[in-house]
Amino acid sequence: MGGSQVSLYLDPQIRDWVLFPITLVMILVGILRHYVVLLLQSPPKKMPRPAIREQRALLRSQILRETSTNSPVPPEYYKSISQELSKAFEAGTYLKDGPPKGDTPSRPPNPLTDPNAMDGMMSGMKTQAVMMVPQMVLMGWINFFFQGFVLIKLPFPLTLGFKSMLQRGIETPDMDVRWVSSLSWYFLNFFGLNGLYRLILGNDNSADGSRDMMMSPYSGPAQTPAQPQDYNKLFKAERDNLELAEALYNWNGKDVELRILRRYGKLST
Amino acid sequence: MSASLSEALQKLANYRSKNSRESLRVFELGAPLLSNDKWMKQKGDGADSYTWLEQLALAAIDVGRTGVADKCIEILSAKFPESPRVDCLAGIYIEATESPEAALRYYQNLLEKDESNAAAWKRQISALRHLGKLDVAVDELSKFLDTYYTDLEGWLELADIYSTCGRYDHALESLQHAMLLAPQNPFYVLQAAETGYTLGDLPLAIKFFMTVVDMTTSDEEEKAGDSVPDGITLRAWFGVKQCTRGLLQDVRGTAYSNTKSRVSPPTAAHLALLDELSTERLLTAYSTSTSSTAKGICGRDALVRWLEGK
Repeated sequence: MGGSQVSLYLDPQIRDWVLFPITLVMILVGILRHYVVLLLQSPPKKMPRPAIREQRALLRSQILRETSTNSPVPPEYYKSISQELSKAFEAGTYLKDGPPKGDTPSRPPNPLTDPNAMDGMMSGMKTQAVMMVPQMVLMGWINFFFQGFVLIKLPFPLTLGFKSMLQRGIETPDMDVRWVSSLSWYFLNFFGLNGLYRLILGNDNSADGSRDMMMSPYSGPAQTPAQPQDYNKLFKAERDNLELAEALYNWNGKDVELRILRRYGKLST
Repeated sequence: MSASLSEALQKLANYRSKNSRESLRVFELGAPLLSNDKWMKQKGDGADSYTWLEQLALAAIDVGRTGVADKCIEILSAKFPESPRVDCLAGIYIEATESPEAALRYYQNLLEKDESNAAAWKRQISALRHLGKLDVAVDELSKFLDTYYTDLEGWLELADIYSTCGRYDHALESLQHAMLLAPQNPFYVLQAAETGYTLGDLPLAIKFFMTVVDMTTSDEEEKAGDSVPDGITLRAWFGVKQCTRGLLQDVRGTAYSNTKSRVSPPTAAHLALLDELSTERLLTAYSTSTSSTAKGICGRDALVRWLEGK
């Protein structure tokens, strides 16, 4: 650590023409990004009635099942509702394209052929592009003009482990870790400006790029909520649940008279 | 000046959160805000500064000041063009000012543009009902409920339409769904009980009436048996009494064996006990002065006459 004693003198011009511009440009790009994303956002897709019906059909049986062990509904009504639902699920009445034809094998729908799913993916990718392009341009700009610049000295000592974080782009083994290189300054801003954006733009801003950086559009189901579901299969599975609930069914009015009579002391418990 | 204005705004928000109608009060509070141009210009632009306009518009329609409502809707539709919520509000305005046919046409236009607009669909159904086209209304409402099963209001409306046509069996079926959706609400059970009673299905009705009693009273306070039934519980006890009377007269139970619900009535011994208990409870309600008012005691003679007049 002998080299750390040697003091470096930074030209104030670097502060005025490199440090401040990089920071300012990054803030402005973030704000710009926020508004571009707002412009790109399309209103939620309107769904035709059959699609809503299909999506909500499962809810019916869930509501019915929820109270089945102490149901408010008398047995005859419960059975008729339950069996109607079961039959409808079996026959596929609730499917948005009507009951399936007998000969076509059921396969998961291809997301690329369904225009609705495509739309969802496109809007996700547009947002990604808005994030990626300016960051790439910015990084290129810094790499091209300010490669190897030392911008500031942190006012506190750090261990050697921070060297790769703070001095990216400068291959010197001996320089004090407190000096920060231009590329590292870019990364510090990239990950650290979110707090500032929150102050300027409010809580749910889309200026912060580091969040989207973590997830690519193809990296798992969390990013694609429009994952098409095979409702036919779900309905078939729900039939078993309905049967189970029917076995557990109990009407809460079944011996309500005993409860009432006991409550008022007409019957001994 | 501005202090009283923001205070009024606060009160309006209070009414909104309590979901109370109070149209006249809302109108009195809101109208000065709307006519205060200076304040309207400088007030904030948050979402909160527009919800009260919707509230005021509805209240103004309620009290018949359609001019004020018109102004509210104008501001809202300038701020939120294409918003289904504002569209619906405009529809209600049309219902209030123009013929129901015009409103119906308006809603049909809305639905043609976007058939998934549930609010407009509901208003269209209510407009249909107003026009007396009950068959179309029931048709549409069934379709609506088939799509939006969880709409409790819809099921109650359907039950109401069926009741007005005398189709109590169908009304009862709709009420089953309402009870499934809100199993904690005794009022729907009471409605089902009374519908069942009207239908002549006494075993079902008495079960529901007792369920209401069961839901509205708790074990601890009733153990002593000295509490006074009131409100919905009292009404349910009247129902129980009425049902036991009917069931006791029909000893062989032949009249109810062919009802759809096929609920078996309580045994004869239990029925006798229930009859005795309901008489007791009703007399308690009408003989204690602590129950609501002195009116309770005034009605006592009538009650005794009713209890004796088999």
